[in-house]
Amino acid sequence: MNIFTLASRNVYRNRHRSMVTTLAMAFACTMMIVFSALMDGFAIGSERNVVSMNTGDIQIHLPGYRDDPDIYSLIDNADSLVAQFRADAFYATERLFAFGLMASDQSSSGVQLRGVDLDYEPTVTDIDQHIMTGEWLSADDQHGVVIGKKLSKLLDVGLGDELIFVGQTADGYMANDSFQIKGILKSVSATIDNAGVFMSNGMLRELITLPTGAHELVLMRTDRTGDLTLRTEQLKTALGDDLDVMNWQQLMPVINRFLETAHIQTLIMMIFTYIAVASVVLNAMLMSVFERIHEFGIMKAIGVKPKQLIILIYAEMFIQTLLAVLIALLAGSGLSWYLQENGLDMSSMADEISFAGLAFDPVWHAALTPNALLMPTLFLFVIAAIAVIYPAIKVAVIQPVDAIHHQ
Amino acid sequence: MNPIVELRDLHKHYQQGELEVKAVDNVSLAIEKGDFAALCGPSGSGKTSILNLIGGLDSVTSGKVILEGTDLSALKNGELAEIRKNRIGFVFQAYNLIPVMTAYENAAFVLDLQGVDPAVSRAQVMKTLADVGLTGLEDRRPDQMSGGQQQRVAIARAIVTQPAIVLADEPTANVDSKTAESLLDLMETLNREQGVTFLFSTHDQHVMDRAKRIIHILDGQVESDELKAV
Repeated sequence: MNIFTLASRNVYRNRHRSMVTTLAMAFACTMMIVFSALMDGFAIGSERNVVSMNTGDIQIHLPGYRDDPDIYSLIDNADSLVAQFRADAFYATERLFAFGLMASDQSSSGVQLRGVDLDYEPTVTDIDQHIMTGEWLSADDQHGVVIGKKLSKLLDVGLGDELIFVGQTADGYMANDSFQIKGILKSVSATIDNAGVFMSNGMLRELITLPTGAHELVLMRTDRTGDLTLRTEQLKTALGDDLDVMNWQQLMPVINRFLETAHIQTLIMMIFTYIAVASVVLNAMLMSVFERIHEFGIMKAIGVKPKQLIILIYAEMFIQTLLAVLIALLAGSGLSWYLQENGLDMSSMADEISFAGLAFDPVWHAALTPNALLMPTLFLFVIAAIAVIYPAIKVAVIQPVDAIHHQ
Repeated sequence: MNPIVELRDLHKHYQQGELEVKAVDNVSLAIEKGDFAALCGPSGSGKTSILNLIGGLDSVTSGKVILEGTDLSALKNGELAEIRKNRIGFVFQAYNLIPVMTAYENAAFVLDLQGVDPAVSRAQVMKTLADVGLTGLEDRRPDQMSGGQQQRVAIARAIVTQPAIVLADEPTANVDSKTAESLLDLMETLNREQGVTFLFSTHDQHVMDRAKRIIHILDGQVESDELKAV
C-alpha cells in the first residue's frame, strides 16, 4: 500500500475532525483569495484611474510649470516633439491650460480650462469614456464643454446649460466667452471634479490667444509591458534639462507608494489570518498523532522508518490542505468573479471615495488575477507544512518501545 | 551450531525516580534456529524487556544482542528498522493491526516496505493467509474480525517475510482458551512444517505446555533454561 493511500484512509478515518480542519483552512483561504482579489482590483483600478484618466505614462512640462502653472510656460516645439514621440513607440498628445472664473445663472466658481486634442487625447487617456451624463466633445461643436462632477453641483448646472467664462488672454486682455455643457464627467480626481472644464484645444487657443505651443505633453507607451522608469530616463536624457520629464509614479508618489505596498499589506493580512489557521492545523495534527502513538510504535516495530512516518504525516496534511485549496479555489474564485463583475457597493458608506486627491469608484471591483489565486493557496501549503513540523518530529523521534506502551 | 539470536551479558536498567530498576540483569542465552521457546515468569520479571531488546525496539544498557551475527546494540535507528523489517517478525498481545488496512493489506504491508514485486507479494500473502486459515477473509478490516482472526492476521504479518525469528509477546493473553489453543496449533504447525523460529514471552500455561524450551526469568535474570523432551 503506498503512503498516499494509507494517508488518505487515515484522513477519512476521523472524518469529522478532518472535515473541520479542512473547512477551517478552506474558509481562511477563500477569504484570502477574495481579499487578494479586492486588493488587486483596487491596485489595478487605482493605476487605471491615475494613468488612464489623467496622467498617461509620462508627462512633459517646462521646468517649474507644475509648481507655478503660468500661461506663458509653453513648450514651443510641442508639435514636432509629439511627432517624434509618435515615431518612437509612444501615443502622444498635447494639452493647454488656462484659469479663470466660470459663472452660471446661479453661481460662479474658479475653473481650470483643459484644452485637449480631440483626435489624440483618446489615444493616451480614457477620459472620453468616463462620462456620467451627456457625451464627450466633438470637433464640430464650437462651444461645447465637458465639466467635472462637483463643479456641476457648485454651479448648479446640467446638460445643455450655458456657462460664462472670464479670464485672461496671453496678450494681457480679458478673455471671455460662453459655453454649453455637453457632458458631465464621473469622478476622476479632486482637481478635475472641482474645477475641470474640458474643451478642444483649438477653442482654448482661440480663447486665450495662444496660436502655438502646449503646456503639457502626455505620452502613453504603445507597449506597456516594458520598464517605465527606464523609458522615462531615456526620455530625460534625450530631452535634456530644458524640459521636465516625469512618469505617473513620480507625478503621483503617494498613490505609487500605496500601490507598491499593496501586496505587502495583503501579505501581512495573510500572515495573521493563517497564523490562526496554523493553530487549528497544529492542534488537529497533534491530536491525530497523539491518539495514534501506539499505532506508530507498531509501525516502527515492523520496520517503518522514521522518515517514512514523517512522509505519512505530511501526506495526511497535504491531502487535507489540497482539499481545502480546491474548495477555496472554487469558492474564492466564484466570489471574486462575482465581485469583479458586480463590485462591492460602498456608496452606502460614502458617496465618494478619494485617496491622495484621486477619486475612486464607490463600487469596489475585485480583479481575479493569477496572483490573487496563487498567493493564498501557496501560502496555505507553506503554513500547513510548518504547522505539522512538530507532530512529525514527535512521531519520528519516539522510541518504538515507548510508543508501543503509550496509553 | 550458530544461534539465530545470542544475548551476551545483557543489561537493561531503567531510572524510576531516584531508583534504578534492573529490568534485565546480566542475561546470556542463545536461541537456535527452529526453537519454539518461551520466556516465562511473573509480571515485571523482565521477559518483555528481553523480547524488546532482541527485537531492537529498545536500547541496551550494556551487553550485546547478536542477531544472525549482527550486533544490534551497535546499530542506529534506521539500521534497526531495516533489521526489524527484514529479519524479525512481531506478534503483539493486543493484535495491533493497522486499523485502516484489510487483512490482506496488513499482511502485505511489510512486503510493500521491502519493495517486493506486487505479483510476488500477492502470491506470498495469499499463501500465508491460507496457512493461517484466513482464506476468504482477506478483505476484512480488523474491526470486522474476531480477536482470534486478528491474531492470525498478526501471525501472517509476522511470518510472511520469512524472518529469522518471530517474537511473540503474550500472543494468547487477549483470547479465550479455545482460540488460544488454535493459535498455538497454528504456530506449532508453522514451526514444525516451515521451521519458523518462535520466541514467546508468556505466563500462560497453554503456551508453556506447548513450548519445546522454557526459559524462566525472575528479577531480570535467567533462573532456568529447560529443553523439553519430545
